[in-house]
Amino acid sequence: MRLPMFEYAEAKSAAEACGMLADAGPDAALIAGGTDLLVRMKRGLERPARVVSIRRLRGGLPAVARDGARLALHPLATMAELAADPLLEHACGNVAAGARAVGSPLVRNLATLGGNLASARPCADTAPPLLSWDARVRLQSASGEHSVPLDDFFTGPGASALRRDELLTAVEIELPAGSSGSAFLKLGQRAALEIAIASAAVRLTLDRPGGTILAARVALGSVAPVPLRARAAEDLLLGRVPNEDLIREAGEAAAREARPIDDLRASAAYRREMVAVLVRRALTAALERAGGGR
Amino acid sequence: MKRLIRLRVNGEPVETAVPANRTLLELLRDDLGLTGAKEGCGEGDCGACTVLLDGLPVSSCLVLALQAEGREVLTVEGLAQDGQLDLLQQAFVEEGGVQCGFCTPGMLLAAKSLLDAKPNPSEAEIRAAISGNLCRCTGYQKIVESVRRAADLRRAARRGP
Ligand SMILES: Cc1cc2nc3c(=O)[nH]c(=O)nc-3n(C[C@H](O)[C@H](O)[C@H](O)COP(=O)(O)OP(=O)(O)OC[C@H]3O[C@@H](n4cnc5c(N)ncnc54)[C@H](O)[C@@H]3O)c2cc1C
Ligand code: FES
Ligand code: FES
Repeated sequence: MRLPMFEYAEAKSAAEACGMLADAGPDAALIAGGTDLLVRMKRGLERPARVVSIRRLRGGLPAVARDGARLALHPLATMAELAADPLLEHACGNVAAGARAVGSPLVRNLATLGGNLASARPCADTAPPLLSWDARVRLQSASGEHSVPLDDFFTGPGASALRRDELLTAVEIELPAGSSGSAFLKLGQRAALEIAIASAAVRLTLDRPGGTILAARVALGSVAPVPLRARAAEDLLLGRVPNEDLIREAGEAAAREARPIDDLRASAAYRREMVAVLVRRALTAALERAGGGR
Repeated sequence: MKRLIRLRVNGEPVETAVPANRTLLELLRDDLGLTGAKEGCGEGDCGACTVLLDGLPVSSCLVLALQAEGREVLTVEGLAQDGQLDLLQQAFVEEGGVQCGFCTPGMLLAAKSLLDAKPNPSEAEIRAAISGNLCRCTGYQKIVESVRRAADLRRAARRGP
């Protein structure tokens, strides 16, 4: 399969990439790992006149950096790096699990975090886990930089707050005090090379092991036009001492909040039922990791 | 409009002019005549085009040749040394890990990167490592056994005679 012709440029800094995007106008596209863009270009879904590579922007920077309670994930970190990152595994295990669930090893060695979020698919596997940690994304253009909660970032299938001339330069997480545990579960027909039928990422923060829930996050993939927070489920959990009944009710609440569609992978009704199961199982695992239920 | 790039392919320096829309797979097959990597799907789904890029297995159909500039590429042609099959290749022959052969170059390279990192992998680790490489012939069992055998051969070779 051939790619259509385009002009190619490599940026050496974020500022230079922003300048190139500003100069090139609406016909420019950024390329990071290329696993989304090149497939879309081969299929004729996208035909940029100019492609700006940001592969050199990583420099020697680590995939994940921690400064006190703040975690910064590099947008050019690959899924393979995130999947194997000990800092990330320890602090936000479900984000590493989300990265591990993407495609296959061959895809994970190319696919980047920035590309996963910027492509803004409802099935993007790092999105629900990052939503569960209240992550923020930093966006930069020639005219300045600002930070947006990931929860406000996704606006529709393939659509986001990212402007055509903007670069996603960091994903940031402020780790909460207390005792946290998280989980990510993805349902597909097979274990590899599978786009999620439905997925759930949860995070529970307890005031102390075995204690009450200080913060609960339930985020869903592939069951709405965007990666979705299930707020009614979260509200149900807040301030309670978790038990099996509560966890089941939260799963059912999340299923009611899902807005799934029928497609070739699964029916809307099946997706909705699976949300209840995935959320229940994910909450059970997260609770155990947070030291609950003792 | 072409651009001059430099990279290393199977240990040899390569300098060549490529148009922007050339994939690494096309560069290898059409420009360099290295037809070991195959085009199956062209979209990252099958792994027939697997090569090692700086030691890591990737789908070369989803890499621009220009993005491989300055990097190290290993294809199946780079495995045998001085006319001698690599131990992985030998294991695939001995265990019947090859049928039609279309997936084999990709399987070998995915397996090589696994064994380079983990000399004694579990069956689950082997299956995970080749999970991006589809095979329509073998049912995978013989491939898993081939990789297992290659791990044994490699460790035996390291211990010496
Ligand atoms: C076979 C296959 C299987 C896949 N399976 C999965 C899966 O299971 N789960 C999943 O979530 N995804 C999957 N994907 C999709 C894709 O691999 C991921 O979304 C990947 O993370 C995209 O990253 P990339 O660096 O390759 O993106 P690119 O293709 O380089 O970019 C994608 C889009 O994001 C933009 N972009 C990239 N980086 C930035 C940045 N820093 N700032 C602003 N814009 C940016 C680009 O302009 C482009 O529009 C799969 C893809 C393939 C080919
Ligand atoms: S041809 Fe590249 S993955 Fe199928
Ligand atoms: S041997 Fe034929 S596809 Fe694997």
